[in-house]
Amino acid sequence: MRKFIFYFAVLFLSQMQTSLFASSEGGHALPEPLMVIPFVILLMMIATGPLFYHHFWEHHYPKVAIVLGMVTTFYYIAILGDTVSLMHTLAEYLAFIALLASLFVASGGILIKVDKKSTPMVNVVILFIGAVIANVIGTTGASMLLIRPFIKINRKRIKPYQVVFFIFLVSNIGGALTPIGDPPLFLGFLRGVDFFWFFSNIWHIWLPTVILILAIFYVIDSRNKPEVEDDEEYSGKIEFKGFKNVIFLLIILVSVFIDPAVISWVPSLSPLPFGIREIIMFSIVYFSYKGADQEILKANEFDFEPIKEVAYLFIGIFATMIPALQLIAHEAKVYGEQLNQGIFYWATGLLSGFLDNAPTYLNFLSAEMGKFGLDVNNVADVHTLSIEHPIYLTAISVAAVFFGAMTYIGNGPNFMVKSICERSGIKMPSFFAYWIKYAIPILIPVFILVWLIFFNGG
Amino acid sequence: MYSLDRALQEKKCGLYYGARVVLPFVGDILKAVIDDDLITDFSPMSEGAYYEKHEKYTEIYFFDHEDILKDVSKYETIKLIVVDDDDDLFDFNHHRKISLNPIDNHKLEIAEISDDVLFIE
Repeated sequence: MRKFIFYFAVLFLSQMQTSLFASSEGGHALPEPLMVIPFVILLMMIATGPLFYHHFWEHHYPKVAIVLGMVTTFYYIAILGDTVSLMHTLAEYLAFIALLASLFVASGGILIKVDKKSTPMVNVVILFIGAVIANVIGTTGASMLLIRPFIKINRKRIKPYQVVFFIFLVSNIGGALTPIGDPPLFLGFLRGVDFFWFFSNIWHIWLPTVILILAIFYVIDSRNKPEVEDDEEYSGKIEFKGFKNVIFLLIILVSVFIDPAVISWVPSLSPLPFGIREIIMFSIVYFSYKGADQEILKANEFDFEPIKEVAYLFIGIFATMIPALQLIAHEAKVYGEQLNQGIFYWATGLLSGFLDNAPTYLNFLSAEMGKFGLDVNNVADVHTLSIEHPIYLTAISVAAVFFGAMTYIGNGPNFMVKSICERSGIKMPSFFAYWIKYAIPILIPVFILVWLIFFNGG
Repeated sequence: MYSLDRALQEKKCGLYYGARVVLPFVGDILKAVIDDDLITDFSPMSEGAYYEKHEKYTEIYFFDHEDILKDVSKYETIKLIVVDDDDDLFDFNHHRKISLNPIDNHKLEIAEISDDVLFIE
């Protein structure tokens, strides 16, 4: 095995030099469509593993994700000679996992206790607050901070749909107003979209969507009565522990901007696939865990398993989805003239539900830029698109964030929330049940409405 | 035979060996959470876990966890909803939430789950 890894590393390094040269001369050949098979296999296994071969999946999912990822990696190195795409993906993966891991660990050292009776209106308020603060501390931070108090308040009448709506609003849709909210918007920000562009162009879509989903939740939640009348007395007190980790959260938020594309004096560590920002975030993982209050970690039953699961599965997803994304980007460029904002909305959205929404967003941004003769790698061009054709950018920004709620793999925090709930004794819907019982009947009609009202012209 | 209350009062430890857990009281297990496995089916044909009551103890086998110590991390515990053998199984007031914390020498610390820890019946 060691010998194999050694040869693999040598092959990778020798090809890297060649492909960096090749890319400057006009890029690489497109991958074979058959190369999307590892990605399809991985998605199918994520969906079916916990249901039909639980024992095997529990013990071997890291190997499955890595082996399938290596098939694609090997194809890109040995057949296409394209290590640039791999390095790009590795950099995106490291940025993704650094942010998720740091928010996960820092918020794991915070304990919020709310002594309040569960009512539909209390739940609506919590979900709305969650949706708002997702724009300040990211969907991951908001999910990790609020999921436990949310379960606790509802402990006497908790049902899976309540958690599913939490995933819809706090873990996804809520974070559409700022680049901190969700990773795709952050990528847009790094490419040249103004920080406040998202708020000023999306709030009028965000607000009615959030209100509509909250209204649906309210109706469903009003019919959920506790089996035994709740005659417990509640003080209404809110207790907050772990202030130290709030400081770590703030450092993570500030570090999001420590990027050479945002602040010119920040040094780039290129060709390394990470930057100062990732170093800060990984350091926070270490320091916030080591410095956390043991009692809070115990109360939160802190465990690295949920983030480990996301890290393994997403390394496989990031690697195997490279061919799928490149083929989609190519097709979008070829047919760019015929694509309107509605098509961009649906294409970005439906793919964001199953692929990671950040690279999907970037590929459709690139396709939109191509349609208007602009270059995605030019900051001024991206800014031009945001000013001259805002509806196109709005369509993909809204779709990438909103549709992340369609499946457990649509966005990083979805999986984490599911895992925390299962550890708390709540039986969560399977991959298919989530999709069929909740995402399709609730979200798709809402997303159709969004399309009809905001993106059906042109 | 120890009751659950007496076992808790005297801080009596349980035991674990690989996938086998031995509890120093006799009772029925209604729900178990180990790692991220939520188990409610304890029939002999089930894939998750099986428990058996003996004269002086209760034993549980977690089929998916060959080494409990490895699968239950530092801040985690195995969580159970149990009903003491002398109590009425159908009275929800007798459904007790306990945690099992594997420590060294195959010992399992048994404690009632505090209000801070989330465990939903």
